[in-house]
Amino acid sequence: MFDRRLLALPKIKVTLLYLIVLTGIQALAIVGQGISLSQALVWLWEGKGLSSITIPVLLFALFFGLRQLLVVVKNYVMANFADQTVENYRIALLEKYAKLGSPLIAKFGTGQAVSVLAAGLDNVKNYFQLILIKVGDLSIIPWIVLIAITYFKWIQGLFLLLIFPVIIIFFIILGLAAQKKADDEYQNFKNLNNRFVDGLRGLPTLKQLGLSRAYGQEIYQISEDYRKTTMRTLIIAITSTFALDFFTTLSIAVLAVFLGLDLLNGRMTLFPALSILILAPEYFLPLRSFADDYHATLDGKNAYAEVLEVLDMPEMTDQNQLHLAEWRATSNLQVKNLNFSYQDQPNLVDLNFDLRGYERVAIVGESGSGKSTLLNLLGGQLLPQVDSQISIDGQELPHLAQQDWQKQFFYLPQAPYIFHASLKDNLTFYYPQADQKALDLAIKQAGLTELVAELPDGLATIVGEGGRQLSGGQVQRVALARMFLDPRRRVLLFDEPTAHLDVQTELALKESMAPLFEDHLVLFATHRLHWLKQMDYVLVMRDGHLVEQGQPAVLLAQADSQLNVLRDALHQGVKL
Amino acid sequence: MKELKKLLAHDHWVMPFLRQQKRGLWSSIVLGFMTTFAAAALMFISGYLISRSAQHPSNILLIYVPIVLTRGFGIARPVFRYVERLVSHNWVLRVVSKSRQRLYQSAARGASSIRSRLQTGQVLGILAEDLEQLENLYLRTLFPLGAGMLLYLISSIGLGVFNWAFMLLWMLVLALILIVIPLASLTLNRAKVSRQKALQSDLYTDATDAILGMQDWVLSGRQADLVAKEGQTMQKLSRVKGKLMAFGWWRDFTIQLLSLLLMVLIMIWATHQFGHSFFASNYIAAFTLAIIPLIDSFIAVNQGVSESSFYEDSIKRLNDLPEPSAKSTAGIKPQTTTVVFDQVSFAYGDKLVLNDVSFDLLAGQKMALLGPSGAGKTTILKLLAGDLQPMNGRVTIGGLNPNKLGDELPKIIAVLDQQSYLFDTTIENNIRMGNLTASQDQVQQAVQQAGLADLVASLPQGYQTPMQEAGQRFSGGERQRFALARILLQDAPIVILDEPTVSLDPKTEAAVLTQIFTALKNRTIIWVTHHLTGIEAVDHIYFLNDGRFTMAGSPQELLAHSEAFQQLYAMDQF
Repeated sequence: MFDRRLLALPKIKVTLLYLIVLTGIQALAIVGQGISLSQALVWLWEGKGLSSITIPVLLFALFFGLRQLLVVVKNYVMANFADQTVENYRIALLEKYAKLGSPLIAKFGTGQAVSVLAAGLDNVKNYFQLILIKVGDLSIIPWIVLIAITYFKWIQGLFLLLIFPVIIIFFIILGLAAQKKADDEYQNFKNLNNRFVDGLRGLPTLKQLGLSRAYGQEIYQISEDYRKTTMRTLIIAITSTFALDFFTTLSIAVLAVFLGLDLLNGRMTLFPALSILILAPEYFLPLRSFADDYHATLDGKNAYAEVLEVLDMPEMTDQNQLHLAEWRATSNLQVKNLNFSYQDQPNLVDLNFDLRGYERVAIVGESGSGKSTLLNLLGGQLLPQVDSQISIDGQELPHLAQQDWQKQFFYLPQAPYIFHASLKDNLTFYYPQADQKALDLAIKQAGLTELVAELPDGLATIVGEGGRQLSGGQVQRVALARMFLDPRRRVLLFDEPTAHLDVQTELALKESMAPLFEDHLVLFATHRLHWLKQMDYVLVMRDGHLVEQGQPAVLLAQADSQLNVLRDALHQGVKL
Repeated sequence: MKELKKLLAHDHWVMPFLRQQKRGLWSSIVLGFMTTFAAAALMFISGYLISRSAQHPSNILLIYVPIVLTRGFGIARPVFRYVERLVSHNWVLRVVSKSRQRLYQSAARGASSIRSRLQTGQVLGILAEDLEQLENLYLRTLFPLGAGMLLYLISSIGLGVFNWAFMLLWMLVLALILIVIPLASLTLNRAKVSRQKALQSDLYTDATDAILGMQDWVLSGRQADLVAKEGQTMQKLSRVKGKLMAFGWWRDFTIQLLSLLLMVLIMIWATHQFGHSFFASNYIAAFTLAIIPLIDSFIAVNQGVSESSFYEDSIKRLNDLPEPSAKSTAGIKPQTTTVVFDQVSFAYGDKLVLNDVSFDLLAGQKMALLGPSGAGKTTILKLLAGDLQPMNGRVTIGGLNPNKLGDELPKIIAVLDQQSYLFDTTIENNIRMGNLTASQDQVQQAVQQAGLADLVASLPQGYQTPMQEAGQRFSGGERQRFALARILLQDAPIVILDEPTVSLDPKTEAAVLTQIFTALKNRTIIWVTHHLTGIEAVDHIYFLNDGRFTMAGSPQELLAHSEAFQQLYAMDQF
């Protein structure tokens, strides 16, 4: 019913002990409540008058209050435990994600990674809070109630004991049938739901085609199909709860009739009979309440399994092999026989090159030639095959996910991430200690002065998701400002930074970037060949091979160079 | 309370459906009440049955009716509950069908044929989720509340038959349980609920910042800051949630104590009412035990009403949508397709987006529109499609204001944008959406012209191949070609190309543009593009900056005379 790994949690044993003790007391209170109520009713029935029942009614109120109070106390205890546990998992998850790095997270699915961190942990919390209480109730209360009933009349106790597994079996069988039905219909569900969202997403297109009005009826039909499918599944799913309900209620009815007959024949007196009648619903209550939350249990359990799965993912190792204080004009990075494959498909094959000091190096090629993969390997986001040889200043390295290397470079992707934070926090992300003077200078160098002046709250304006949206060019400038601001990082990796921008913005950005290229090792992956004019060296990629390398001017001058072959391929132009 | 009233006064999403679908609504509420009633009756009859049996009646027939009733109510309770759940779910899903249609129609009214930078899809996705939220409003709040009120009414009348003074007392305590406490907890918790919702969305933002920005966190060496930052939101959230939950626990505790009070009161009353006679004394246990099953209903009402403020935002968002327009607007068909922008200005609020823009485009001419994002390109397209009206100046198609075209518009203007949407149906259905009455030959011809004949022929299911969600089965270039085939069938004389190749690699881009310009040779084209690939194919180029044309002319003129253009061209074509 619950995961073994739960038992490894800190404080779980103490918490469970509390839970068991509190639930035990609660079960006794339930029995006491039933007996005292029964006593009061019997004396009233015997005509002893209201004055006689003061004590049983007070006892009843006391037990009743105690039982309900314990519900609240148990909730507090478990909420406290759940909060602490989830907080521990949250920290562990974030640390884990940080160790895994973006590529491994991307493999796991960014959407899923986000939802584990947000909704997932929330579900886990419910799981700890709700489920342990329900499981505790189910494993203690019915049995103490049953002992009391058996004490009054063993045959009734036996009846209740025997009916218990029957109810569970029916519940499970029908539950499985419902699950199967739901699985069968799942595809149908998904299709129908998709078609609805499809219609909404495609609305501009429908409008363009003059079909938007006609599609309204279609939406209604889809929804009605959806309703029918859902009802088919629900009929069975609800039947499963119905079975539980039916057997428990009927058991009480049957019990009442048996009790009546026993009383009639004088085999029993009213007090035990009434006590049994009052206690019987309490016997079934924990089971019903557990079944009501059964689905919440599953969600919580799955979410918990997912969290543990993330925590068990293998991490990068050997991240501290490199000792490098600063990338200098004399530093060098040697790459020999660099190989990389993804899902057994070779992506990069036997790459050899040397990078020195503050060189400016272009990596060019068509889409899919491997230039981004190469850049990711150089940035340590991907790990090469073990036969590859990489060294920095003569230090042999298994890969470039080295902490000392990561401190040396900036990475500028096609769409840098903008945090949901103030523009200032975004600009100073890599260098939070920057003073206002340095920041102003960086803003000026990156060409953001106009934007800052235009924003209602200037640097304090919230940008990113849900805040002020920045255009593609502005996002790139924010990233450039980060580079200008932090003088310690001497290596710049660019991955197609201007590919999706309009030409005028590209030209303007190019001018802003020029000063950055001084005194830095620059690696610039692009298919926009005009950048070659700013470069000292070029690596030409094709189908995962490094087909040519050299000085751009030299290679461009050779009519049959691979660089010129690439240039022709990229400029086939539009033929009319 | 005031906000709630305001919400309901302008409501056109919840109340109209309740009014329209009265029968199902009442059945659900009555069945909900019957479930509780049967449960109470079971305990009542059982209590009576054993009390009566304990008096050793001479003949079993004397307790025959209670025995049958006990079994009857024992079966009735689960059956009522079963039927109630089916009826209410069916009702809710029916309402959802209607509201989906309505949502769609509302959205269709507000939608533009020009895609904005703000993703309409996402906004609509949120609205679709809001509709699902409403399902819970019905199932968890309205039905239990209705059933609870019915219970209040009928139990009070029932007791009034015996003793009207006790009925008043009963009504007072029940009013406390079913009305005062729910409303009080709704009012007290509203602020906390909205705070919780805000924090929950912050948590998502934080998680997104953590995951999508992970590379920056790692490279900047600020992992510790990340953990601390996330922790703050999480802590705040768990504090608010904790307070809300604790409130709920104590509220339920209070209701239990009030139910205890009810039991004791009814015990005392029943003793006064029935305790004096031998036979009537059997009703004491009956009445007292019948209270126990009612507690479930009391708690359901309280939880439902407290939760209702969770749905407030959803209802508000839905109510903010425009009313769907029922009738179509018959349009006038223009005689020619000359497009004229005459000294057009446009502003969003006080931000001037277009400033005195003029151009004209004769039938069959082609123009390219370039400029950085925010320069006003989309606004020009929206003015042309009649979605916006100019603040100053005139926009005409064949001498007519575009908004006079009404339903004729799709026959005049076709749009091929960045992500022309492909629907989750077959290839043929997708293409045919351009013209529902097209013949098979016409469809094939369009496919041929869009350069897809070989691809379609290579698919085992051919034209009947499912497209899959948003056309994900095909590559970007193929998707744009399918969209092209669709607008070829649409056969509108004016075509808007809104960066149709922006997400394609250079080689595919050149091929797709070749296809587009060949197939659309005789049509008027307005082409928004971000660079100069294929620019030779147009008659006019316009550069838009800050709402004004800063450079304009034919490609040849600009190449010959404009230094700025030469610089851009040299860069782009290097």
